[in-house]
Order: sequence, then structure tokens, then C-alpha cells
Amino acid sequence: MMRRTIPALASIVLLAGCPRQALFVVLPNAEGGGAGAITVEDGKTATILDQPYATAESRAGSSAPVEESRGNISVIFRSAIAAQPILPHHFRLYFILGSDELTPQSKAAYHAVFDDIKQRPVYEIEVIGFTDTLGDLPSNQALSLRRAAAIRDTLLRDGLDPQAISIAGRGEHDLLVPTADQTPEPRNRRVEITVR
Amino acid sequence: MRLALWLAAAVLTATAGVSWAAETLPIAQIKKVTGQAAVLRSGDRRPARVGDMLFVKDVIETGPDGGIGIIFIDNTVFSAGPSSQIALDEFQFDSNDFRGAMLADMRQGTLAVVSGDIARSTPGAMKLRTPTAILGVRGTTFAVQVYGDH
Repeated sequence: MMRRTIPALASIVLLAGCPRQALFVVLPNAEGGGAGAITVEDGKTATILDQPYATAESRAGSSAPVEESRGNISVIFRSAIAAQPILPHHFRLYFILGSDELTPQSKAAYHAVFDDIKQRPVYEIEVIGFTDTLGDLPSNQALSLRRAAAIRDTLLRDGLDPQAISIAGRGEHDLLVPTADQTPEPRNRRVEITVR
Repeated sequence: MRLALWLAAAVLTATAGVSWAAETLPIAQIKKVTGQAAVLRSGDRRPARVGDMLFVKDVIETGPDGGIGIIFIDNTVFSAGPSSQIALDEFQFDSNDFRGAMLADMRQGTLAVVSGDIARSTPGAMKLRTPTAILGVRGTTFAVQVYGDH
């Protein structure tokens, strides 16, 4: 037992005697939903950090968990966090059956998408169209692309940069709500928009 | 013989075309700059400007008062504080299935990360290398400081 304890103690003393080389911290997730998780591998050990403010450091090529106060963490990373741009946001808008026209509710929701884009100094927008399983594959493929194109046209009419918008259609693939074939499902008749 | 030569040439051309295309696709865009920040690309250093696109092998760098925020095409967000240097060594991403891989080399400074589609869809595929350790990222928000004098 002693034989195993002594080298462990010796390595702690060794670690403490060297200057810190790197610091790794898990932060609370930006928009809710718990904490991140990272694994710090130094070739000898793997340290898993998966709680908010869990911290590890490297000294002399070895890494180990350490305690670091939230105050220190926020001082060390204040500038890096201040440099963070507005995070990417995702939106879903829904369509009338068989049509590339938004539902009345989604017409209202479109304004939130536009407002989100306008608050960004530069933006990229991805619009992906989808359908439900009613109808055949080729016509659903075409309809999904028309839905994405309809949103792009609205964004362009509202003055956004055509080069910043990309569109795609996935037809009845990647259903939001899994259904059997030939099933009308309002939540599957949608576009998914990523703004970043 | 002639046919073999022609085939070899065709294969070479095709391969060159593919790698050229892969390397010229942007992988990220600069969204925010404060103070001094620069991009190192094939030996040239140019000032970082909001809206500029970034490519594989680019290195982002900040001065003593600088900061830079970028977003990758998989929605991973990097933001670096002063006196930082981060090389975007490897990046692949398929926007159809959200799978890919990335490796960034953090040489010094401070970096805050919000991981994106690659870390979410492909466990173990997002890595951040520091001089002393490699970080595997399972998501989503974390920060790293690498001291300059190691």
C-alpha cells in the first residue's frame, strides 16, 4: 500500500512545483441544458470534466483536476467570452398542406427569424425544406425545395444578401415526426432555418 | 501504353481537382473583431475583418488587446481573447448528415468554445490540441487557456 502512495505523493509535489501550462474549464451551457463535457488526454491519463466549472490543469506535461474559483475563471476568460459572437440560432416554420405558403402562425413567426438576422453584423442563413409523407417521393422532393426557395425569396424581398443564403430540399426524408407513408403531418411540412 | 498514360494523367487531374475544391471551401466566417486580430494564410498575415471567410490551415491570431469570434459551418463557435494563436488544422463537414471531424491547434492564449454539429453527431470527432494535452469534446461550452512560456 505504501509503495503505491509514495510515487503518487511525489508526483503531486512535482506537479505543484512547475508553472501551470494550460487550464481547461467546462462552462455552463450557453443557452440552458446543463454543462459541457470534455476529456483532457495528456498521453498518460484522461481526465473527464463534465460539471459546470469543473477544471483541470497541465503542469510538466501531466494534467489533473484542480479547484479554481468562479471568480478566477471569469477573470481569466473575460476577454475570450466578450469576443463571442451572437450564437447560431435555429428556427422552424410550417406550411399549408401541399403548398409553399406558410401557415398563418408561421407567417407571424417569420418576423422573429428576420429580427434575429438583422441583429448580426454579418450573417449566413441555411434553409432546408421538408414535406410530410403524403404524395410520391419526386413531387415531395420538388415541394421541399420550393418551400426553401419561398423562404429565400421572402428574405431577399426583405433586403437580405443573396450570397449569404443557401437552400436545400430533403423531400420526405428526415421527418421531424416519424409517420407511416401517405400520412399528412403538419409538423413535417416545414423548413428548418439556421442563422449564424 | 498511350491509354495507360492518359488514364494516369486523368486520375492525377481528377485528384488535384478534388483536393483543390476541398481546400478552397470556407470552413468558418469571422463574426466579431476587437482590437488587433489577424489571419495567417500560406505565410501571409492579413488583418482580420468581420465577414472574412476562413479556410483549413488558416491561423487566427490576436494582439495584446485583441479578440476574435468566428463561427464554423457546423455552427461551432470559437472566441479568443488577447495574445492568442489558434491554427485551424483539420476540418471536414457534411451538411447532409452533420457528420465530420475537426482539429484545432491552440498554441497560446484564451479560447471559449461552444461546440456545434460535429461534436453532437460524431462523438470524439472534435479535438482541440494544446502543447500539453489533447481535448476530446463531447459538448458544448468550455474554455481553454494555454500559457505562452511553456
